[in-house]
Amino acid sequence: MRVAAAAAGLVLALQALACGYCVEDKIASTYDHAVVMRALEHRHHVAFFHIEGVLPSGEGAGHALAALAESAAGVDKGSVRVSLDTLTLSFAFDPQRSSLGAAQRAVERKLALKKLSLMPLRVMERAADLKMPKN
Amino acid sequence: MKLHHLLLLAGLLSACGQSSTPPADSYDVAKMDLKPMAAKVTSERHKGAFAEGASLSMGAELKPLDASPVKTVRLDTTHKIIEIAPGVKFSAWTFGDQVPGPTVRARVGDRIRFSMTNRSDEPVAAPALTAAPMMHSMDFHAAMVSPQDKYRSIAPGQTIEFEFTLNYPGIFMYHCGTPMILEHIASGMYGAVIVEPRNGYPTKADREYVVVQSEFYAKPAPGKQKVDGAPLYVLDGDRLRAAQPTHTVFNGVHNGMVNNPLPAKPGERVRMYVLNVGPSKTSSFHVVGTIFDRVWIEGNPDNQMRGMQTVLLGSSNSAIVEYLIPEDGSYIMVDHHFANASQGAIGLVSTSAKPPAKDLEHHNMPASATPTDPDAVAGKLAFESKCLACHSVGEGRKLGPDVAGVTKRRSSAWLARWLKEPEKMLQTDPEAMAMLKEHNNIPMPNQSLGDAEIRQYLKYFEWIDQQPAGTVKSSAGGH
Repeated sequence: MRVAAAAAGLVLALQALACGYCVEDKIASTYDHAVVMRALEHRHHVAFFHIEGVLPSGEGAGHALAALAESAAGVDKGSVRVSLDTLTLSFAFDPQRSSLGAAQRAVERKLALKKLSLMPLRVMERAADLKMPKN
Repeated sequence: MKLHHLLLLAGLLSACGQSSTPPADSYDVAKMDLKPMAAKVTSERHKGAFAEGASLSMGAELKPLDASPVKTVRLDTTHKIIEIAPGVKFSAWTFGDQVPGPTVRARVGDRIRFSMTNRSDEPVAAPALTAAPMMHSMDFHAAMVSPQDKYRSIAPGQTIEFEFTLNYPGIFMYHCGTPMILEHIASGMYGAVIVEPRNGYPTKADREYVVVQSEFYAKPAPGKQKVDGAPLYVLDGDRLRAAQPTHTVFNGVHNGMVNNPLPAKPGERVRMYVLNVGPSKTSSFHVVGTIFDRVWIEGNPDNQMRGMQTVLLGSSNSAIVEYLIPEDGSYIMVDHHFANASQGAIGLVSTSAKPPAKDLEHHNMPASATPTDPDAVAGKLAFESKCLACHSVGEGRKLGPDVAGVTKRRSSAWLARWLKEPEKMLQTDPEAMAMLKEHNNIPMPNQSLGDAEIRQYLKYFEWIDQQPAGTVKSSAGGH
């Protein structure tokens, strides 16, 4: 029952997002083809998240957030992309070393310092294929 | 007596009600298709042509309406270098591999079966110079659909397919809707959908042309890369956000339809489908030498105005304008915001024009021979950007004199002063006054040129006059 309620909450949240930015548009805001190609070459995955919480503002806020996320275990170095405009964060990770959920939790532990959390939107496991994440 | 009158009135009203049936509402929502099917996204990639469909026109000349009630339209996205003005090779993003994208022509009630592959990752002639592959989408203003379903962004290599029915007549913009939308439109991702009324237009036109006005915001690439010897230009984000374009153009090319006028004959009725895509400027569309007999705002004959001189179009506004060609001549279409016209929003409909080449596409045209002196090169580029609308090189008089031989007719000092302050010379200099009279009292505008720019113009004019007579022409000198 609790699982069903949580799932319903996720669906509602995604619908709410669609009122402002389509999920795919959020993904587009951090999509970096070079990151994607590099990750897929190494059979890594690229995950896209909605950022929940009050984002820091000011110059360098996005870079600071990216640096924080990149310091999490399992996240590919140089792969984090952040869009403060669309509240989106993406990174590449090695699915052999950690699951999407584990990678997300590792990043969230870092972001907890800023009272931020992540909601998975899509994951790219192969080229031209954005899938709903299975947690 | 009073009662008698009332009864008579009631009888008349009743009779009226019985004898007249209300006219059919052509906008009856009950007859509209408002339940399109869900979009489908796959990782199956289109190959071959970037644009396909019998309803597509690639240039200014419109193909007749394709009778099929279902129009299959394929417009793939690409990244490529296009030439927006002579010598200005711009890193563009496209629909159908051209800017503007192909024009779709259909009719109310037709169904559009659309598909698009994001092919921004495909290798092109100069892959290192084009923008990195990125996500794109398609937003059809002609459709009534859920944007979250149909207008989703797709990644490089993905294909989206969806269908919709055309419910309203008009000229509708299409564009990429992926954030930042402003950048996607300013990079070239737009085009027009023409939707005819279910029963066609109320008039018959002899010529039909589509004119899409848009702005470019270009700056030399920071890496100073070159394409075919010319500098590469990229999107200038600062100018874009400040709405300060470097080029304002018709059909994607600075002065494009000056160099390739649209043909018409005296007595013919020309119908122009005009769309201003912006993204940020308004157009005051006007054709010098004629009056718009009919203007159908947004391209819908129900929105009719008669006898107009200009039509004002905001970003993503459109109009059909119809006018008669009264006599032999070149009729100048122009954005009457002359700051925009001076940036290239100018073109000709001419009774002496040859039929347009089958493909008016301007992309990747080979660079032509240029002078080697850097000042002369800069002068040539500036001349071709700012002056070709009114002056030719070696092709005779236009609105102003032919510049071939000008350094033999005038001294350098005279020319420098003329370029610097033409309005003052028109008041004081007898030669300038005579020239004004000779050219129908159309004054040369002050272009606010600096001394360095004037020197560059003069170097270019001198270079022209040093070439064998008749070998340098406007067309060979640039476009």
